Amino acid sequence: MPKTVLVVDDSPTMRQMVAFTLSSAGYQVVEAGNGKEAVGKVNGGTKPDLVVTDLNMPEMDGISLIKEIRKMPALKFTPILMLTTEASDDKKKAGQAAGATGWIVKPFNPEQMMAVIKKVLPG
Amino acid sequence: MSTDLSHFKDAFFEESQEHLTTIEEGLLQLEQRPGDIDLLNRIFRGAHSIKGNSGMFGFTAVSQFTHKMESVLDQLRSSQMVVTVEVTDLLLQSLDCLKTLIDCAKSGEAPNDELVSGLGGRLEACQNGGTATNTVAGAAPPIPPRATSEHHYTLTWVPPQYLFQRGLDPTQFIKELGELGRVKIVSLDTSRLPKLKELDPEQCYLGWALELDTVKDVTVIEAVFDFVREDSTLTIVDQPPAVASSNDQKPLGEILVESGVVSQTELNQALSQQKRVGEILVEQKAATPEQISEALKKQSDNAPAKKTETPSIRVDTVKIDRLINLVGELVITQSMLSDLGSRFEMSQLPVLLERVAQLERNTREIQERVMGIRMVPIGNAFSRFPRLVRDLSGKAGKKIHLILSGEETELDKTVIESIGDPLTHLVRNSADHGLETPAERVAAGKPEQGIIRLNAFHEGGNICITVEDDGRGLNREKILAKGVKQGLIAESDKLSDEQIWMLIFKPGFSTADKVTDVSGRGVGMDVVKRNIEGLGGTVSIKTTAGKGTTFTLKLPLTLAIIEGMTVRVGKDTYIVPLLSILESIQPKREMIKTIVGKGELVNVRGTYLPLMRLYDVFRLEPELSDPTKAILLILETEGERVAVMVDEILGQQQVVIKSMEQNFRKIEGVAGATILGDGTVGFILDVRGLLNISRNGTAQAA
Repeated sequence: MPKTVLVVDDSPTMRQMVAFTLSSAGYQVVEAGNGKEAVGKVNGGTKPDLVVTDLNMPEMDGISLIKEIRKMPALKFTPILMLTTEASDDKKKAGQAAGATGWIVKPFNPEQMMAVIKKVLPG
Repeated sequence: MSTDLSHFKDAFFEESQEHLTTIEEGLLQLEQRPGDIDLLNRIFRGAHSIKGNSGMFGFTAVSQFTHKMESVLDQLRSSQMVVTVEVTDLLLQSLDCLKTLIDCAKSGEAPNDELVSGLGGRLEACQNGGTATNTVAGAAPPIPPRATSEHHYTLTWVPPQYLFQRGLDPTQFIKELGELGRVKIVSLDTSRLPKLKELDPEQCYLGWALELDTVKDVTVIEAVFDFVREDSTLTIVDQPPAVASSNDQKPLGEILVESGVVSQTELNQALSQQKRVGEILVEQKAATPEQISEALKKQSDNAPAKKTETPSIRVDTVKIDRLINLVGELVITQSMLSDLGSRFEMSQLPVLLERVAQLERNTREIQERVMGIRMVPIGNAFSRFPRLVRDLSGKAGKKIHLILSGEETELDKTVIESIGDPLTHLVRNSADHGLETPAERVAAGKPEQGIIRLNAFHEGGNICITVEDDGRGLNREKILAKGVKQGLIAESDKLSDEQIWMLIFKPGFSTADKVTDVSGRGVGMDVVKRNIEGLGGTVSIKTTAGKGTTFTLKLPLTLAIIEGMTVRVGKDTYIVPLLSILESIQPKREMIKTIVGKGELVNVRGTYLPLMRLYDVFRLEPELSDPTKAILLILETEGERVAVMVDEILGQQQVVIKSMEQNFRKIEGVAGATILGDGTVGFILDVRGLLNISRNGTAQAA
């Protein structure tokens, strides 16, 4: 049974690349264009084993999404990784305070991303 | 893990090319308009995109270098620095370097580190307020890799209590450490565990201690705990193993230097006197220099070959949309036809004919559109010239103004790729030979600045590209003298101007008094002509002494379709490329001569041409075997002529070339095949190949 990863990003290119990398590595990928869409997907029955989300998004940003997810009993302990740009320490802190597991710093290559995912997603 | 992002990579490389072009054009324009903020922003965005994207694909050399360029551009943009010739030069050089870096990233080759770090250093110096005139001194010596001796770490880790609530699993951390090396003793620290009734199952109260043997650095181990480091209690102690595990022998020289017997300079001197194996062998007369260089060549040949590049093409989505639209129409027509076919009555014949006509229209339109996909604007090939001309004018000490026009003219991508080099050569030629020095120009009453004009336009089914200069024009006497000297013509020959101009396309012809860095190295114009003819095109020259020279290249729009003459031999139909047909004649008996060892010749107005009976070449059953009753086609390629005998000329038509090599195998004398109107296959004659056959007398059945 492949693990499901929910990928949330408003940039289609980024979403595609993340999704492609993950599905090449054998994960099942569900995509969402912003936080609101992601919440909709989860309420619609998707139960991700991992959430990868961008922070700066229209409709609902990443921080709010993380807070929403942590409120859901089913996803209380689900790892959440946020995509952040280089040196935004404040964003990292805010994300962690909201309940994020970790972060992936942009720009990243597939190997780096998979290394971080392997950190938090039990094989 | 095999995450292959190669198709995103291709997109990256293609996109990068666009950005590189934008930057280059921008930088060149910047010299004219140094204060243009929009322009600077555009250049900056180009660099920024390359930086961001290359980072995503792990081309760190590219992203780091671009970052330095970007910093300088940022300072220019924010007016902290002014645009000077030095800065532009530096940026242009850096751009070249960046191109190389990207090419290296593409082919997987190692870039020239010295150049990269040298330019990187200059960019940094420039950005730090220094001038850009610094030398290559910025090249920092590479840091030698640290000895890979094994560390022996002792770790204690008490994670934050919230560990589980953030989706973290402590066993993951230990597993990850296990991947770095050997985790030896693991002990659990339960000292913080509360009484059962106070225990919150969602909190983590445990701690761990373990020993780890690894060659990895302490920072790598710390990185494992990246996500929890701030709230964890983490200690990492490195206890080096008692015995140094390094058993690498030090070089003798190093030991001598360390023990103070010799100094580093003395050592370096001694080392520089060391000879290479090849040199020693040559000295001992064990091998000749030729043998050594051959062996060296073999060595470099065995080096991993460059990755081959799969060509791709970017197509305007509008073109694709139209195509899809047309395919839609085709499907509708097809369904209408099959509907009609299922219950057809003779009374519906007019409807059927109408539908077939519609099908024909659809097909033709789709054919045109598909051809159109391969069409790209020639501007892509032109874009390299502003930079080239800038460099050339600097080198030759001439003032040159380049005017480009007709950049939007479209032609086949393969043609565009192949004309780049010939065009470059013509532009170099104009800059070096065509245009005079500023002093000469002023003396001749012309403006100091010379003009080179590149233009492209459609003419009939062809595209014309002209390279025009307003320089001194071709020197008739000089070319004639040189032609006689080289034995290309006899002194008594009466040549028309056109024939004289064409002499410059002969191999080895160069009238340049001095060989310069730019051109006049004896290779060139003949190659230009050969390349253009290889594409099925022609080159012509127009020149006026003192006024200038115009080279006109005439090229077919595409290589996939040729204009052909269909001819018949016996029952078979062949296609002869129209471009190579000079004339067709029906010879008289006395024009045909047979010469021992040379076969048959035909006298066409005083010139003897070899006569080839096509049915002999392809072993066919002819209708006519008497040349005086048949037709002779006089074909020419690369200045050589041959008379080919066929039964009948059927007509002229455009044919789509299908490759023989890909579908069958190469056949000498046949350039390809095509499907004729009646559905049969017709061979397209390869004039070059026929000439070879006539020379060697080898015919092959086809």
